Amino acid sequence: MAVSGFEGFEKRLELTFSGDDPASGKGLRRLDFFSLEKVLHAVQCTVVSAVGNRYFDSYVLSESSLFVYPNKIIIKTCGTTQLLKSVRPLVDHAITMGLTLCGCRYTRGSFIFPQAQPYPHTSFKDEVVYLEENLPKHLSFKKASVMNSKSCYKWHVFTASDEEDMHADADADDLYTVEICMTELDRVLAKKFFRRFNDGKTGDSAGKEMTEITGIRDVNRNALICDYAFDPCGYSMNGLDGNRYSTVHVTPEDGFSYASFECVGSVYDDREEFFGVLQKVVKIFRPAALSVSTTCPTGHEIWRGVAKAIEPLGMRLRSRAADEFPATGTVVSQAFTTRRK
Amino acid sequence: MATSDSEGQVIGCHTVEAWSEQLQKGNDSKKLIVVDFTASWCGPCRFIAPFFAELAKKLPNVTFLKVDVDELKTVASDWAVEAMPTFIFLKEGKILDRVVGAKKEELQQTLAKHMGSVTA
Repeated sequence: MAVSGFEGFEKRLELTFSGDDPASGKGLRRLDFFSLEKVLHAVQCTVVSAVGNRYFDSYVLSESSLFVYPNKIIIKTCGTTQLLKSVRPLVDHAITMGLTLCGCRYTRGSFIFPQAQPYPHTSFKDEVVYLEENLPKHLSFKKASVMNSKSCYKWHVFTASDEEDMHADADADDLYTVEICMTELDRVLAKKFFRRFNDGKTGDSAGKEMTEITGIRDVNRNALICDYAFDPCGYSMNGLDGNRYSTVHVTPEDGFSYASFECVGSVYDDREEFFGVLQKVVKIFRPAALSVSTTCPTGHEIWRGVAKAIEPLGMRLRSRAADEFPATGTVVSQAFTTRRK
Repeated sequence: MATSDSEGQVIGCHTVEAWSEQLQKGNDSKKLIVVDFTASWCGPCRFIAPFFAELAKKLPNVTFLKVDVDELKTVASDWAVEAMPTFIFLKEGKILDRVVGAKKEELQQTLAKHMGSVTA
């Protein structure tokens, strides 16, 4: 392992708000760009590309992605960004728009270079303390947990909810989230995420090309894709399919190669389709190790069958952990490595 | 060549009549037209708007139009605009290109590509 390199593992924050004006229905999407830019500046990243549809706005950032729904913000940043610094300004901006925070979910894997992380990301304990200090007090139902703590793929989860969120539509909400983290990517496949020196392309056009040649375009043919290739290497994309997003980020450098895939789906969707997506993603990168973390309404076991879908690709399930989080549902983290390891 | 007040600016088309008039004007002058299909509630549209205005200032030989997809719903659906912003490049009534999303580099490169054909 390199002494130091780019930290691919993202930190992911999801903030849910209540009080959206149903007349306009645009809620947080009305946030002016200057304010948004200031928040991103505090986190230490910028917007490189963006697109919106009827349901939500998506931004490709210099370090990962941002999604803005009328009542929800999902922000995911890698490297040494200080993601949690966005919590307070986002909550404050939302208040000026008549929106109140009702739920917060923070997740991440295990950093490859934990020593390089700045405060408050110095440890999970520091992150939890920082969150507790910066979240409004009415989010009193909290839980922090390090799942799969014995595996190489620890999964860190923190959730906080208010009273209303606790009793709200936990059952009505049919969406699940899947977060896949992959390391030690196949070297030949990872090469596809490098640009040729002086290729004369823009980040947009080089990104579009990578989306095609790597097979990422085929993961969901219905999605509108907003992609970007960094110079000299690295790739990010956001997919928009109706009200659902997906996102891929790749750090291809040997020694600390990393790729992530995340998407949302409905528990009522065809499961076979979901397993097909998982397989396509694994085949794009052929990692030596990967973790699949699913968050879904309790009672729907979306994690079932994940191992059956992935094991035929030459990987073996090494550990599985499940836990319940108030107003969030069940989180299951499953870690796989190649059979040869 | 006659200059108009709107030169160097993004012209907002707020009615179907104004839109048709601008298209006609563009057809007559054989100028390259770039249309920004935007929405007031779309964050990425606000992100790219200043950049688009700057391009308009720099390139007086290109007509820059702006259409709000809520204001001119029929135009947006006729032109199959589903994501915002969408930039459509037109010349003499023909669609030359389409850039979907707030992509500064791609927007600039596409402009350069078609401006070459304008001066030729």
